[in-house]
Amino acid sequence: MGNLKSIFRAGAIAAGASIALGLGGARADEIVVGASLPLSGALAGFGSFQQWGYKRAFDEVNKAGGISIGGTRQMVKLIIRDDKTDPNATASNTETLISRDKVVAMLGSCTPALVNAGALVAERAKKPMVTGCDPLEVFMSVRKWNYVWDIFFSVPELAAAQFKALTDLGVQTNKKIAIWHDNGPDGQAVGGKIWPALAKEFGYEVVQNAEFPVDNTQFTSIIAEAKSKGAEVVLGDAITPQAIAIRKQMASAGYTPKILNIEKGAEPVQFAEALGKISDGIFVGGYWDPSFPYPGAADLAKAFESETKLTSSQHIADSYAAAQVLLDAIKAAASTDPEKINAAIAKTDKTYVVGPVKFDENHTAKLPIVSLQWQGGTTVIVWPKSAKTGELLFPLP
Amino acid sequence: MKTLSGLAEAGVLLGAFILLWFASDFVDDYGLQIAFRVLIYLTLAESWNLLAGSVGLVSLGTSCFVGLGAYVAFGLLNNIDAPLPLVLLGCALAGGALAALVSPALFRLRGLYFTVGTLALAELLRLTMVNVSAFGGAMGIFMQKDPPPLPELYHYALGVALIASLAITACARTRVSVILRAVRDDEDAAAQMGVRPYRVKLGAFVVASALVAIAGGVQATKLGAIEPYGMFGLQWSIDVLSMVIIGGVGLRLGPLVGALFVVALGEALADYPEAHVAIAGLILIVLIRFAPGGVVGFAETLSSPTRKRATA
Amino acid sequence: MSDVGTVLSTIISGMLLGGMLALTALGLSIVLGVMRLVNLAHGDFLVVGAYAGLFFLKFTGIDPLLGLPVIALLVAALAVPLYGLLLAPLGERGAEAQMMTMFAVSIILENVFVLAFSADTRSIERDYATLPLTLGSVTVPLIYVIGFAIAVSLILAVHWLISKTRFGRDLRASAADAQAAETLGVDVKRVQMATFALGAACAGVGGTLIGAAFQFGPSSGAAYLLNSLAIVVLGGLGNVLGTLVGGLMLGFLQSLGGLTLGDGYRDLVGMALFLLVLAFRPDGFLARRRS
Repeated sequence: MGNLKSIFRAGAIAAGASIALGLGGARADEIVVGASLPLSGALAGFGSFQQWGYKRAFDEVNKAGGISIGGTRQMVKLIIRDDKTDPNATASNTETLISRDKVVAMLGSCTPALVNAGALVAERAKKPMVTGCDPLEVFMSVRKWNYVWDIFFSVPELAAAQFKALTDLGVQTNKKIAIWHDNGPDGQAVGGKIWPALAKEFGYEVVQNAEFPVDNTQFTSIIAEAKSKGAEVVLGDAITPQAIAIRKQMASAGYTPKILNIEKGAEPVQFAEALGKISDGIFVGGYWDPSFPYPGAADLAKAFESETKLTSSQHIADSYAAAQVLLDAIKAAASTDPEKINAAIAKTDKTYVVGPVKFDENHTAKLPIVSLQWQGGTTVIVWPKSAKTGELLFPLP
Repeated sequence: MKTLSGLAEAGVLLGAFILLWFASDFVDDYGLQIAFRVLIYLTLAESWNLLAGSVGLVSLGTSCFVGLGAYVAFGLLNNIDAPLPLVLLGCALAGGALAALVSPALFRLRGLYFTVGTLALAELLRLTMVNVSAFGGAMGIFMQKDPPPLPELYHYALGVALIASLAITACARTRVSVILRAVRDDEDAAAQMGVRPYRVKLGAFVVASALVAIAGGVQATKLGAIEPYGMFGLQWSIDVLSMVIIGGVGLRLGPLVGALFVVALGEALADYPEAHVAIAGLILIVLIRFAPGGVVGFAETLSSPTRKRATA
Repeated sequence: MSDVGTVLSTIISGMLLGGMLALTALGLSIVLGVMRLVNLAHGDFLVVGAYAGLFFLKFTGIDPLLGLPVIALLVAALAVPLYGLLLAPLGERGAEAQMMTMFAVSIILENVFVLAFSADTRSIERDYATLPLTLGSVTVPLIYVIGFAIAVSLILAVHWLISKTRFGRDLRASAADAQAAETLGVDVKRVQMATFALGAACAGVGGTLIGAAFQFGPSSGAAYLLNSLAIVVLGGLGNVLGTLVGGLMLGFLQSLGGLTLGDGYRDLVGMALFLLVLAFRPDGFLARRRS
């Protein structure tokens, strides 16, 4: 018959839930910005770097007295939510931040799937969002953005960096290349299209082009094939767990090419820590290093390392810069009106810790690429020669 | 007596539906978003209950059909530009078809093996979607047009939840419920009584899967961009199980209370990003341990310790 | 395709790896057989073992392979209170209650891993973990051979335990019919606890081996759970030697899948096979009688 009392109780629970949900709004005299980050799940590593970068920018603005809106100084508040590396959660977090916490703008998550999910919500809600951690071409391929702005590197540039480095450094190999890439958006773009085209252009022969799922764990066949075809140059594009697996399995299979490059995955310091000395000699493209000649670059890394006692990563830089760009735009607009903030972001033209940031008509700002090489547990810039911080280690030990 | 009860319940549901339909004019965006999530979860939980509470099949394969619905929806929306109701019908047909396709194999499995089998099916489908680039691979697909506005999506979710609830009412409050319970409690005995257990299970499975696929389609339409890890990920299967257990397995109000609870908990804990997963786990453990009938069961025993529980 | 040496190497490596995974699958199998419980935290026990191996090496400098007995005891010690506090009280309830409790444990463990050890991907760094072993035209990773040897020894040990000791007899009785066993004087709860602990220990030891051969992180558990399930089903629930055979078969077929379709298809082949076996021979290929 339906238990009336239990219906009432269910209703009470629902009411209680709604009240709980209603609490936690922001005060009227604060400027509230939201961010959904992967703080748990597979991408938790990136999320924690971004969180530090975002928070630092906000703390600095508050320490300097906040932002002046209509004559009164207001503090800036950053609300961060964990999306557990799930795009569904990024989307719902972004929605809640906009509708419940009434944020005036958003900062992005990390990696295309998550960034897209949140960006689509922000775009529809007409709230400005500044993000890093999303390769520019992938960002542009989703749609024509009006409210979302991306500061990151250009995929073709990253792909070309390795070839240019090899040529400029005068490296001698048998010019046989094996390409191993994951089937995520940037993996397919870089490994599937750009590298094969560049290989031809630079006079290399592609003896193998293998694609694997982003979370693949076994690379035996791929490695065996490259070994049997005698490729002396291996270019890879995979995230860190896979990058570590690849290097380890190559060693166990007795395959040591002269040049090994693993984009994306070989960049964080956990890569070198997990592999120990077999990480030596591996190349990876980077978009930031504390040695860059931009204001605050070295200090940022130092501050991170002393605060967290961890080794710094380039991800603290694009997140810190993205937050600063947004805060500067709010300052320039002197308003919390999303349209005015959006217009101010468009006019950004300043040099931040990652370099000069100026958005083009596609809402992208490009970061420069350098070629890094792991040596003894730290990365050394080996190309371009103008930014060099160390000598090339060749061939792969 | 049973049929009257069924009609009364259907009446309550329709009344609530009409009320909630027009409520969208008075509630702000945040409320609509929360309501949307609850409604989608409710649909998934009711479908799960249909399988488990009535027919005794514990499924871990919800993510399979959510993902299927999502990809079918985008396929239809992007390629044929069909209106949404037609698209959702397509999702239902796809879900039902897949269920019918795998049931000969899946129903040979009893109990534990069935559960494991649904888990394997979900994983198989996810791995296929990740590897085969025709469906976008790990990159996924984007919706070419803009999604409909939030109130409209809310209405769709409401409609889907209504259908799911009515389906449960039909199964729980009519003569059908006797047949379902017979199959659940003792399949072989039921067969000897002239019931065809295979057909009953198939029917429940097809209906439940169709509902889940529609929910997946609606969810995908709201997201605007899908990829295999998010739409075929096991978190769907696990979330549904959490909801049903929290609400009370097999209890009529279980799915609703469970969905409300899970969404509310997610919101409340979202402000504690570092530890919220662990806290959610602890709450789940405590609930399972101390409230065997879920929140609804707990509430019922509080109100009348000797009265029998209202089952679905 | 590729030459004979490559094919042989890949297949043999795959089978060796399958044997290693069989050890972890064994843990899942006996728990499934005795407790009818799909331990959703199984993969996380494996990760506990991997972290244990990592830190064992870091703090004592002793090779984690030598420390395997310690690691086994550690993981078992973690499992015992889990059983006592969380699972035992739920004994009479349906399958979902225990399964979801273990799922909750799984997500708590993952969160704890991130909080305690950070989300970084780790690997147990040993020289033998990155050396190849070459015999003629066949090259296999040395660590696979070592891991296989250890896994097989342990599986045989567990087999002996279950078929020749009194505990084993009690275990088999509880698996066949818990109520009947109870009336015959078997302390089913204690048997279940010991089985759970043993299952966790197997997972943990397997985890250390995997941590040395590959890499792991807080959320690596889930993938190994599914692999283990596939092996368990192939070999037959509760069938100890069957698990080894299941692992070898899975390894063999996955390698074939990897060679012909590409490494990305290994898991797919595994799942497809899993479903086929479930559909046509749910008691596993070796099912004639339980061991």
